Amino acid sequence: MKLRSFFTLLFALALVAAACGSDADTSASDGSTDESASADGSAADGGSSGGGDIFISGSSTVEPISVRVADAFTADRPEVNTAVEGPGTGDGFQKFCAGETDISDASRAIKESEAEDCAANGVEFVELKVGIDGIAVMSGPGNPLSCLSFADMYSLTSPEAEGFENWSDANELNLEVGGSGDLPDAPLTITAPGEESGTFASFIEIVLEDTLDERGQEITTRFDYQSSPNDNVIINNVSSDDSSFGWVGYAFAEEAGDSIKVFEISEEEGGECIAPTPATIADNSYPISRDLFIYVNKAKAAANPDLVDFVDFYMDYGLKTAVADAKYVPLDDAAMAETVSAWEGR
Amino acid sequence: MAIAIKPVGGLTPANIGESLRRKPDLKGALFQFVMLFSLSISIGVLVVLLYTVVSDAWPVLSTRLGDFVTGTLAPDAGRAGISQGLKGTFYLCVIVAIVAFPLGIAAAIYLEEYAPRTRLSSFIEVNIRNLAGVPSVVYGILGLAIFVNGWGISALTGGRSPLAGGLTLAALVLPVVIITTQEAIRAVPSALREAGFGVGATKWEVIKDHILPYAAPGILTGTLLSIARAAGEAAPLLLVGTITGFISNSPGWFDVRQVQDKFAAMPTIITSWAKQPEEGFRVENAAAAIVVLVAFVILLNSAAILLRNRFEAKRAG
Amino acid sequence: MTAAVKWDVSELQGSPHRRNRERWVKGVAFAAALTSVLISLLIIGSLLFEAVNFITNVDLSRLWDRGWFPRRGVFDLKTLIVATLWVTVIAMIVAAPLGMAAAVYMSEYATPRVRKILKPILEVLAGIPSVVLGFFALQFINPTLVRSWIDDANSSGNMISAGIGVGILTIPLIASISEDALAAVPNALREASAGIGARKLTTTVAIVIPAAVSGLVAAFIIATSRAIGETMVVFIAGGAAATALFAGSPVDQGLTMTAAMASVAAGSDEVVGSGEAFTSLFFVGALLFAITLCLNVIADRVVKRYRLEY
Repeated sequence: MKLRSFFTLLFALALVAAACGSDADTSASDGSTDESASADGSAADGGSSGGGDIFISGSSTVEPISVRVADAFTADRPEVNTAVEGPGTGDGFQKFCAGETDISDASRAIKESEAEDCAANGVEFVELKVGIDGIAVMSGPGNPLSCLSFADMYSLTSPEAEGFENWSDANELNLEVGGSGDLPDAPLTITAPGEESGTFASFIEIVLEDTLDERGQEITTRFDYQSSPNDNVIINNVSSDDSSFGWVGYAFAEEAGDSIKVFEISEEEGGECIAPTPATIADNSYPISRDLFIYVNKAKAAANPDLVDFVDFYMDYGLKTAVADAKYVPLDDAAMAETVSAWEGR
Repeated sequence: MAIAIKPVGGLTPANIGESLRRKPDLKGALFQFVMLFSLSISIGVLVVLLYTVVSDAWPVLSTRLGDFVTGTLAPDAGRAGISQGLKGTFYLCVIVAIVAFPLGIAAAIYLEEYAPRTRLSSFIEVNIRNLAGVPSVVYGILGLAIFVNGWGISALTGGRSPLAGGLTLAALVLPVVIITTQEAIRAVPSALREAGFGVGATKWEVIKDHILPYAAPGILTGTLLSIARAAGEAAPLLLVGTITGFISNSPGWFDVRQVQDKFAAMPTIITSWAKQPEEGFRVENAAAAIVVLVAFVILLNSAAILLRNRFEAKRAG
Repeated sequence: MTAAVKWDVSELQGSPHRRNRERWVKGVAFAAALTSVLISLLIIGSLLFEAVNFITNVDLSRLWDRGWFPRRGVFDLKTLIVATLWVTVIAMIVAAPLGMAAAVYMSEYATPRVRKILKPILEVLAGIPSVVLGFFALQFINPTLVRSWIDDANSSGNMISAGIGVGILTIPLIASISEDALAAVPNALREASAGIGARKLTTTVAIVIPAAVSGLVAAFIIATSRAIGETMVVFIAGGAAATALFAGSPVDQGLTMTAAMASVAAGSDEVVGSGEAFTSLFFVGALLFAITLCLNVIADRVVKRYRLEY
């Protein structure tokens, strides 16, 4: 009877599974004290990727660049096993310094504490700057202002601005932080990326952090604004209202064209106002931009020729094509040459 | 003593026949209509849902269905495909089948055939019913803490892998498998058991030769439905962690080592695409992936329903 | 076979091989049954361990603050609870009448032939994965239904459309449990009612439904628990990213407990003050587990009471 043999097979499997199950039981109870160590960092995340594999983790901002590079690379070299994920710069470094990943995407330079972590685990790396992310600050097309200073933005978006529903509400604070205090009387609605976004973090770090530190404030923005992970939603909301306020990655603002007004930015009140363009972002004269990096594990590169090929490919296709495709600003020629020589001189 | 019949409500022997004839029951008809209408809404929703999904997916289905099914995750919406998601979901289903079915069927046999009427047995029963009601996202926590990061276990599963995801989903469907198997076993006529014991068979011999074959269609129905459920579950996989960015396709379909590797799965690909800003991903590709997933799930469901109907008809006849 | 065969007691016990096999099978089956207990223990263990970590490390005033901003250390529970309530209430407003009406029709009115067609259709609806309902809520329910009636409704998703999506998902569940409850009402009651001249409507409304009421209540409670635990519909169609300001109105975007968990888990770029974001996942999970467990236990009690009636 066929049915009988089917069930006999099932029971054989049940036996195995039950044995596994009870194993799991004992090791779990043994390990409960170690759980705190492994739970958050997924330090035990071994992975079985063998020699020729390439695993990239890290910043979700840089992820689209690496995804494009990996995609194009795989078209040529389908035999190489490649995977890209984007849990965040911090999580990425945690894995990278534990030796679990080959390349770590980062939307900021590695922190000292993270570098120490790497050193403690004997992970040596090379830092490669691959592109620049500019942030455009914007409003509806009919907004009369043309230039905003860091002080203006602080008085509109810092935690101290919580509750401001009119641009002019911010004037008192604006004067305190070194602005001119002449923001217009118009309703203020803010749409911007939320805390889960790299653009949010960069905005705080570049525009707000120094003043927040000075004034003993928590390093964050005001909470009461509409956040969206979708850049098109942000652009839509901002463009529909001439006294709105928001910020997005530069490429999205450029694409939106005349439907929004992109502000020129001056770091100091009364300083030179600079509009974001690929040129001003690339030469760092536009103040709200950040560098994007990849970090490559040196030992893994030495042991894995596929990884070397991959990074070589990144230095060419990645810097020249993928960065722009992913809507970031490519490096200028000098910076590009610098990155390439950093990789070759590893 | 004569019995006096008092006319009630103007009834007399002369007109009683007339009053027994019913007026048309308008209220009743209306009620029936409302019930039927509500039922039609539910069915209408299903139709609208399928229509919306298929029409959103049409640009993909009509132009590049083959490439879409065999293609890999890619940054361009016009080129992205779901083969890796299909492969991941296939492995998840296989692992669920290997782990949850034997365990679930064995547990159900114990509870129905062996379990003494003790506190422990009834505790196990209650526990299983409660497990069936635990939200799927909570199983994701189990998967994350035990199968992905658990001390010692992570080395076995390879971290965020089909094995970890499959074990998580197996835990998720286990209570359902146990409960449906119990129901199937309970439906076995006790005469069958007694006849078996009567000719000197041991308990296990009765179970394997009489009870299981008789209950098999019911058990299979339940297991097919659980596989369909496992294939469509996204929440636990979000916590276990699947790749939705990029993963190359090099290991073949039947290279078993990939159960310990990074993987993609249909429901999480759909989730990630449905949340993308770009329309090609958010609408067209997500809908096309849904069409494929729903086709698979409906296929399993229909198989289960057909199987059940056939055997019900056989038994009845 | 001759009369010379001598019997002794040990032979009446059957062969030791068969007896051994019996013991083995019983042992294996028992172990399998125990794995369900093991799973429960592991779930509770993994939830509690990090949840305790969270509650001891977090500043308690941050649990009652402006909104849910886990990566900035602001974990307002009322934001999640109110959103969960909205979604659940809307889902039940959709699912309870539709599901129960479907059950009444199938159990009391439909001919066996009609039933044979309708039931599989409902079962197919039951099998639709929740991500699909999430997509449907985002792409159809919100733009076509909700926003054509309510102008203020958030276009990138809101709690009403997510609630309707969850409701559709729970219709088959309510329908199936309610139908079982109605079918469990003895036919004698219906026949007696018809025998004293009651119409079908009267029999259904005054006799059958009251007799099944505890089963119907259980169906409602179980569906509520399912709606509270539903993740993907709200994660996709609720409109909120990983964060939400406290919102009292269902036309706004919102994060339920489940969606908040999903979005913490779905990963993101590193942000200032990310400290307890990860452990908050376990804390919310523990809360969710406790709530749904209570509801399921209550539903179980209700069912037990109704079983005793016949």
